[in-house]
Amino acid sequence: MKYDAIVIGGGLAGCTAAGILADAGRKVAVFSEGLSLHDASEGPASHKEQARPPYAALSALAAKGVTVFRGDSIIRAEMSEDGSQVTRVFSRNLGDEPLEAAAYVLATGKFFSRGIISNMEGMYEPVFDADVEFETDHSKWFDPDFFATQPYEKFGVKTDSEGHVLKGGISVANLFAAGQVLAGEPMSDSDIEKSGRTAATEVLKKL
Amino acid sequence: MFIEDSHKEYDVIIIGGGITGAATARDCALRGLKTLLVERGDLCDGASGRNHGLLHSGARYAVTDPEGARECISENMILRRIASSCIDPTGGLFITLPEDSLDYQEKFIKACRDCGIEAEAITPEEALRLEPAVNPKLIGAVKVPDASVDPFRLVDANILDAVRHGADIIKFREVTGLVKENGDVKGVQLGDTTIRSRQVIIAAGIWSAHIAEMGGAHIDMMPSKGSLLIFGHRLTRMVINRCRKPGNADILVPGDVVSVLGTTSDKVPFEDCEDMKATSDEVNVLLNEGIHLVPELSTTRIIRAYAGVRPLVVADSSASGRNVSRGIVLLDHEKRDGIKGLITITGGKLTTCRLMAEMATDLVCEKLGLKIPCTTARRKLPGSEKRKSGKDPVNKRAAVGRHGSEADMMDFNGKGGGEIICECEQVTRAEIEYAVRNLGVRSISDLRRHTRVGMGTCQGSFCIRRVAKVLAEVLGTPDKALELMNDYLQERWKGMSPVLWGDTLREADYMHKVHRK
Repeated sequence: MKYDAIVIGGGLAGCTAAGILADAGRKVAVFSEGLSLHDASEGPASHKEQARPPYAALSALAAKGVTVFRGDSIIRAEMSEDGSQVTRVFSRNLGDEPLEAAAYVLATGKFFSRGIISNMEGMYEPVFDADVEFETDHSKWFDPDFFATQPYEKFGVKTDSEGHVLKGGISVANLFAAGQVLAGEPMSDSDIEKSGRTAATEVLKKL
Repeated sequence: MFIEDSHKEYDVIIIGGGITGAATARDCALRGLKTLLVERGDLCDGASGRNHGLLHSGARYAVTDPEGARECISENMILRRIASSCIDPTGGLFITLPEDSLDYQEKFIKACRDCGIEAEAITPEEALRLEPAVNPKLIGAVKVPDASVDPFRLVDANILDAVRHGADIIKFREVTGLVKENGDVKGVQLGDTTIRSRQVIIAAGIWSAHIAEMGGAHIDMMPSKGSLLIFGHRLTRMVINRCRKPGNADILVPGDVVSVLGTTSDKVPFEDCEDMKATSDEVNVLLNEGIHLVPELSTTRIIRAYAGVRPLVVADSSASGRNVSRGIVLLDHEKRDGIKGLITITGGKLTTCRLMAEMATDLVCEKLGLKIPCTTARRKLPGSEKRKSGKDPVNKRAAVGRHGSEADMMDFNGKGGGEIICECEQVTRAEIEYAVRNLGVRSISDLRRHTRVGMGTCQGSFCIRRVAKVLAEVLGTPDKALELMNDYLQERWKGMSPVLWGDTLREADYMHKVHRK
């Protein structure tokens, strides 16, 4: 299957990016695992509602002609020999059926949504093994005050100045990241949306 | 009953609401003494709530401390009878690994038998059949009568019995001084309040040294920190021990739906005792050692880490504290220091709490010129009485598991009584109401100690708002719900942060997004 762009993650960042790309007439696929916290801060009313990705947004995308893979996720990727391009990716449900695109957007979120995986030794990004910025000293992952902004919330995927994801120190020319998967200060919902728009703009330049 | 203040005069005031104080209050009350127990925080706030929850058979001490081992096995058998609702008779297994010695195992079995502890050697194959999760490289194993005990329930049961026999309990008030007249101790000072008594018993764990100092007595104590990890599953059925000289992280205790691995043993300064928390380094030590017992620990989710401080009385100058006496220390300050009216009971173990209480109460009776026999070894504790047979409704079963016959005092038929508030531990509104009425609960952390609210795998992530709302209602301060919740979140964070990776970090991510404002 071939697309102009494959967006990995159907939360606020991924849906925003996919919407812009679809509006620009591009052929887009979105993979949505179904774990999103982007609107969890809206209030305590119902945890079930909060932890759910914006299904309305996904349906709106589908109506625009975006191919939405619900409950599926990209689990591995193949790279060009020099490591500067993603050549194709594979999803959990589609197995060995390769998926190709001119550009890829990583919008998998942080820890809750498993966009970044942590263990006792450190952290990694599970789809592309992109470079992750984090403290190697575990005692620096948290602040003793629960209510403070936690250092761990700033850890995430590294990008170059044009928004390309870094892997092994090399800029991957057709891989962009959006939303909370990125290293940096914790984002508000409007920051996440903005980040989705920025990634879409970069992808459109590339296309 | 639970009171805020008192103008009565007591026969005896006990300082400290841990297991030693609680058991002593029970014994004193059962012997008819006018008894008051004073605790500066909640019951079980200190080491009594920060340990393995291991009912020792004595096997661990058989080689190095036969006297302590004999005390353990005798008290182990008594507690099984009188506190059955607090005990899970899991049995224990001491495993020998290739780097340990089978000669030690032989010596160990002999030492156990000399102390009256049943010790049965079984083959490695048999051990693996009983406990498939233990290190498959084991070369020997011995079965002993260790068990798992819930220290919170044991303290509560002792306190309930004390209260029902007339004892008064004051929580959240700190002893600021001892009342002294002509050099004798005549009561305690709680800030501006003076409460008089004929005898004062210090049962304050590591803080005993500080209180004894107020009375003019010096106890040379050494705080020894022990850190532990809680894993999110029950990995074994039995308590698993390493059959070698006691070391770090060589006991794994299954309790309720979790497993507890510990401990470390490090000398710490007295200042550190006020805010005990496990460090990242200690977590590493525990994990690196623990995987020799049960390799699966390396891939099992750790739900939190915590630390307690052993009240060791110095007998020699060992650096780490593991060789210092853990035996029972009963100090008659009249004989020892010429201070009438003051007694200290410390050292000892959770397993020997009843014996410690008996020794302290015997001494109090002697001082008061009374000859009243101790009955604590025969009388069942509240919760461990026989229940009427019959099937419990499904939402009551967890409460019966936790509180035994006490669950029958909970109002499951009242308005919303049967509603489940904490899903992981199946805690109902009725149980929360019971804990507030009978155990003086004020905060969610208190409620956790007395009901296991928020102790399950979600650590309160999902239920905490409901719990806060219900507790605030039951306490009659519905506007305090948010405050209750925030205090609890900060307290949980202390235990989660040192093990913040994998699913625990995912959960923290969720907790921060949902509950932090």
